[in-house]
Parts: sequence; structure tokens; C-alpha cells
Amino acid sequence: MLKSTTPTMVGSEAKAKKKRHSFSLNAKDKYFALLFLGPSLLLLSVFVFYPMFRTLYISMFLTNTLGKTTVFNGFGNYATLLSSPEYIASMGSTLFYVLAVTALTVSIGLLLANLASQKLAGIGIFRTLYSITMGVSVSVAAIFWLFIFNPSTGFFTIISNALHLPVINWLTDPKMAMWAVIITTVWMHLGFTFLILLGSISSVPTTLYEAASVEGASERRQFFKITIPMISPTLFFVSTITLIDSFKSFGLIDLITKGGPTNSTNMLVYRLYKDAFYSGNYGQASSEAIILTIIIAFFTFLQFKFLEKRVNY
Amino acid sequence: MSKKLKNSLISLTLIIAAVVLGIFATNKPVKSSSSSDRIPIVFWHEMGGPSEDALEAVVNGFNKSQSKYKVIPKYQGSYDEAIQKILQTHGTNTSPAIFQSFDIATAQMIHSKYTTPVQNFIDKDKDFDIEKIAPAARSFYSNDGKQQAMPFNTSQPVLYYNASLLKKYHITPPPVSPTYSDITRVAKQLYERSDHKTKGMTVQIYGWLLEQATTNAGQALANNDNGHSGIPTEVKLNNPSTVKFLEWIRENIKSGDFINYGSGASAGANQIAGFLSGKVGIFIQSSASMGKLTKNNPNKLGITYFPHPDGQKANGVSIGGAALWISNDKSKAVQQGAYEFSKYALSPAVQAQWQKSTGYLALNKDAQKEKILKDLYAKNPEAKVPGQQLADAKPNYVNSGILLEGMQVTRQLEEVAMEEAYNGGDIAKALSHADKNVNQNIATSNRANGYK
Repeated sequence: MLKSTTPTMVGSEAKAKKKRHSFSLNAKDKYFALLFLGPSLLLLSVFVFYPMFRTLYISMFLTNTLGKTTVFNGFGNYATLLSSPEYIASMGSTLFYVLAVTALTVSIGLLLANLASQKLAGIGIFRTLYSITMGVSVSVAAIFWLFIFNPSTGFFTIISNALHLPVINWLTDPKMAMWAVIITTVWMHLGFTFLILLGSISSVPTTLYEAASVEGASERRQFFKITIPMISPTLFFVSTITLIDSFKSFGLIDLITKGGPTNSTNMLVYRLYKDAFYSGNYGQASSEAIILTIIIAFFTFLQFKFLEKRVNY
Repeated sequence: MSKKLKNSLISLTLIIAAVVLGIFATNKPVKSSSSSDRIPIVFWHEMGGPSEDALEAVVNGFNKSQSKYKVIPKYQGSYDEAIQKILQTHGTNTSPAIFQSFDIATAQMIHSKYTTPVQNFIDKDKDFDIEKIAPAARSFYSNDGKQQAMPFNTSQPVLYYNASLLKKYHITPPPVSPTYSDITRVAKQLYERSDHKTKGMTVQIYGWLLEQATTNAGQALANNDNGHSGIPTEVKLNNPSTVKFLEWIRENIKSGDFINYGSGASAGANQIAGFLSGKVGIFIQSSASMGKLTKNNPNKLGITYFPHPDGQKANGVSIGGAALWISNDKSKAVQQGAYEFSKYALSPAVQAQWQKSTGYLALNKDAQKEKILKDLYAKNPEAKVPGQQLADAKPNYVNSGILLEGMQVTRQLEEVAMEEAYNGGDIAKALSHADKNVNQNIATSNRANGYK
């Protein structure tokens, strides 16, 4: 068996290489391509492609009370959205939120991972503590933070009162509400980011650090010149995931602020949900979905184009 | 084709076949043995927490009271989301036979033509006397002289105060049907005399309360008599009554006796927590909160009517809550069963128990004669107040609800305007900005629905 398979595998690999250049498939290959791709294509077209095109279609219409498309509106829904100061503000706050969450999550995660990678007695306790938020569900986290932010019985309020400091209205002041949501999201994402970065830091060969120490490089220099470049693929991965995740942030906003106060935390995804499933404006919500898709695609593209260049794989 | 490939092909086919079979097999409704002779009546509702338990007790009571129908309750989440589910599933086999739909979706439900007016069943029924049901609740869910839906869980917005704290600081409690300045007086005294330990009052950022304040001042929000004489084409939030209400709140925010809990469900919970722990003395909320406020309250609870502007008489507030609607996509027998259930839910004994366990009002006049309610009033005399407020209100188009599609959007925009006002923005500007957005939405919605 072994003897016969090895040469054929090499043969077929060579063939495949040839084909990658010519992009032509013979009948047998077509048959296999269809056989293997068929099921997933079928599933994708039912659950992804059809809804996508349907969304595009609905976004060109006004929908009535029953959610049925009635009046063709062309790009009218898009024009209404893009000329609405509320929608533009919503875009701005989403951008701010996404960037703040990504920057904070990755930097705090990196800091904690670096601390926890030290080989000390009992470090396992800290590793567990730092990654514990992975096991907390969104609803539990939201309720927990709501208790902390409560304006009359919350933890922060009690501390401020005890120290005679002014009480911060976390959930009713538009500016603070944004920070309340950011803090909660960062806290939620931190466990996962920490764990991934810790794994990556521990896999950096110790010989590099030893050599650097012999050369007399400081700890700080070692961190920036060895650790960061060595874990850059992981940093890239983590920041992409956090960015896309925070764009799609929904649960925490729904449970903590419901988009308020004065729309300050009404991010694109939450707004879309409210317009569709609270207000029943499916036409407008569909155009919002299309705009959101374009924005996320754009950011992912940017990230791959610029960040990937600096990543050492 | 090699033998190995053939085998894997066969197994692949088998797996796909199994999956497909599985999908079809699970799609078939599973018949439960106990309900085999009874007609199933699927009932969608949006009651959570203690109210859900109370509602299930009503359903079980109905199922035991007869042997023809079996009502199957299904919880559907929030009021807003349930409306969309009901509209989108209509005509399929998952849609409900009877469902609970909240106050502000009434226009949507009437225009959808997806329901059979309960009037059709009432006309044929000699046992049921609709006159026994509170008029304010009836008029809210009727149109064209027809009862469209059976009013069910009905609440009134009322003003709650901490009677023990007021007594402690020797403050005269607010009168029945207080004015704004009556409340300001109590709030200020409480804040001053408690040495700023207790905030005087709060009003949650909740569109419903803004609507009620305007209603109580006798001001309609939408044109065409709040939609009762035609499809509304314009809403005017920037009116003297709304401005007075927000100015009243602003006055209290400025003098420091007001605490803002914000908007949304968490604000409601925080507000109740603040009230129960004696951090705030007065708040306005649905009478349906009474259950939570009497159960674990170390202090004595005070309740009075929703306040109104100084120098005028209160018009009476409108009701809140939801009604039971019968879908017209089910067979006659099922619809009849749905009606029988709604009738049972409104019977005196059931209504009395319902009020006791939830704080929603007993709508059937005869419920007041039931022992359960007499005992309740003997123990907590304040529990009578919301019912009295309901009985005092004479139904007119202002307090019979706003028959406007897109009330959900309107309410969201009202809340944004409230937030702006609370945070120190210009009140008239915030309201006219909301008007602009609401009216744009109405115009689009009327165009999409083909209304002229």
C-alpha cells in the first residue's frame, strides 16, 4: 500500500500545481469539486447568499405595517440614512467605541499576559483570575456591571460618597455611558485576549531572551524587540477578532444602556436591530445592514493591507 | 472509481439522507397524549417574572374549567419584539390563535386585518356582559364602534411615595390628584429635612410617562383626534403641556432634589431599588409595579394619582398594558376557543386574583365584590388608588390612546428628547427636533402603507 500511494500522491500534487496556473479542470476534477463543494454551497446559498441578496432587495423598498415591500424607493433609504445627523452620529460613536475597545483590550491583555508569563510561585492563580471572564456570559456580566453602576446603591457611588467625591452618573450622562459600555466590553473580551497572548508569549524560545541578556539588553528593550515581534501574528489575530467582535457588539448594549442616553451608545448594529424588530422598518434596517457590511469589509481590508505587512509569520 | 471512494460516497449519501430525514421528522408536530381530544389554542404572551406565574395560573384554571379546549401559553419576550413575530408568522402553522399585544401597537393590529374583532363573538354570546368591563379600558381597544380586542392586563400610571419617610420628617403627604407644585413641595421638603440623604423624586426617562403627562393635561399628541377619527398625519410633541411637564422636572433637577435613573429596563429596576432602600422618596410608574413594592418594602407605601399641571383640572390618564387579540388565520372552532379563554380571563374571580398577584387592575366591576380584593384593600388600603383613578377618568379621545402606527419609533424619539431635557438642553428645541423625526417617519410609513 505504502509503496504505491507515495508516488501517486507526488504525481497528483505536481498535477495540482500545474492546474493552479492554468485554472482549467478536467471532467473528473469538476465532478469531485461539485461533490465536495456542493453540500456547503447549498447550505451557504440557503443561509448566507439568499438572505444577503434579499436584504439588498428589501433595502430598495419601503415596507408596510406587515413588513411587506410596497413602494420602490431606489436608493432613497440610503439617502435618508446618510443625510440623517443621528445616523452619522451613530457611525461616529461606533467608530470611537470600536477603536477604544480594540486598543484597550489588546494593550491591557498584553500587559497582563506579560505579567503572568513570569515564572513565579502561585502564578497559576493569577492566570486563572485574568482569564476568568471567558466563562462569564454576557447577561451575567451586564447584570454584574449594572449593580456597580447603579446611581443610588452602586459600588462606585458608595465609594465616591465615602470619599466625598462627586458621584459620576455612569448610565445617565451621555459621555460616561459610552465609557461604561467600553469598560464592560473590554472586561468581557479581556479573558480571551489574555489567554491567547499568554500562550503566544510562552512559546517564544527562551534562548532569544538569554542571548539578549548576555548582550546586556534591558527588560523593556527585550519586550519591545523580542516579545512584540515574535508574537505579532497573534497580536494581529487578536486585534482583528476584537475589532470585528466589537463592531457586532449587541448584548451588552441591549442590557446596559439600550442605546441611550440621547443615542450616545446607539451603535450601528443595535440601531439596526431596533429599526427592524422594534419599529418594523425593514426597508431602512436592510439598508443599514448593507452599509454595515461595507464598513466591516473596509476595515478588515485595511487591517490585512497595513497590519499584515508588519507581522512576522 | 476505487472501492474506498465508493464506500465513502455511500456513507456520505447515508449521512445526507439521515440529516434530511431528521429535518422532516422533527418538523412534524408531536402530539401529546393528554390533549388528544381537546382543541389546542396556542397563546402568545409577554408576561415575565411574577406576572408570568399569575398568567399560567389563569391558563391552568381555564384548562381545568372545561374539557373542550386546551390553551398552551408561550412566552415571546418583550412587547415590541412580539409584535414583529406575530405579524411575520401570520398565516403559518406556528402563529398563535390568541395573543397579547401591548397598548401602542393597537393601530398596527387593527390595520393589519389579521385579527377577528372580539365584538363578533360578544354579539353572539348572551352570557357575557361587556358593560361590566371598565369603560376606559374598553374604549382604548375599540374602533368604529366595535370592540377589537379584549382588554386584559391593564395598568395605570400612578405616583408612589415613601409614606414612612414622609411621616418621619413630618411632611404632609401629596393630595389625591396632586399638581406639579404639590409634588415639588414634598420632594424639596424631603430632600432638605433628610439632610440631603434622600433624594426627593425621580421620573424615569420613559416615553409612556411623557405621553401620560400630556394626556392628563388634556392635550392630544396626534392630529385627527389622536387617530380616532382618521389616520394621523402629524404629531406635535412641542406643545405647552409637554413643555410644562419637562420644565417641572428641570426645576427639580436644578434644585438638587431630583435623581435621574436614565432609561430602559435597568433604569426601572434601579429606580425601584433606590426607592426600596430609601434613597429616593417619590417616583411615577405603572400600577403593575405594586407587587414588587409591597412584597419586600420595609417602609409604608403611599400611592396617589398621576400629577397634573397647576391651575387646571386633570383630564385623567389613559391605560397602559395589553389586550388579547384573536388571530383570523385559524379555524372557527379554534377562534371560538380563543374567545372563551379571553372571556374566562375577564371573569370576576380571575380578575380579582390577577389584580392581587400582579398589580394590574381588575377590569370586571364584579371583581370588587370578591373576597380576595376586599381582603387586599383591608390590608393595604392604598391598593385601591389605581382602580379609583381608572374609574374617575371619563373616556375621551385624548385619554383613549393614540391610534398611530409607528408609536414604537415615536416613543424612542420622545425618550431622546427627554434625555436632552434632563441633561440641560433646550426643551422646546429638543421637542421640535423629535417632532421633525416623528413626522418624517409618519410620512414614510403612511406612504408605504398607501394611506392618504
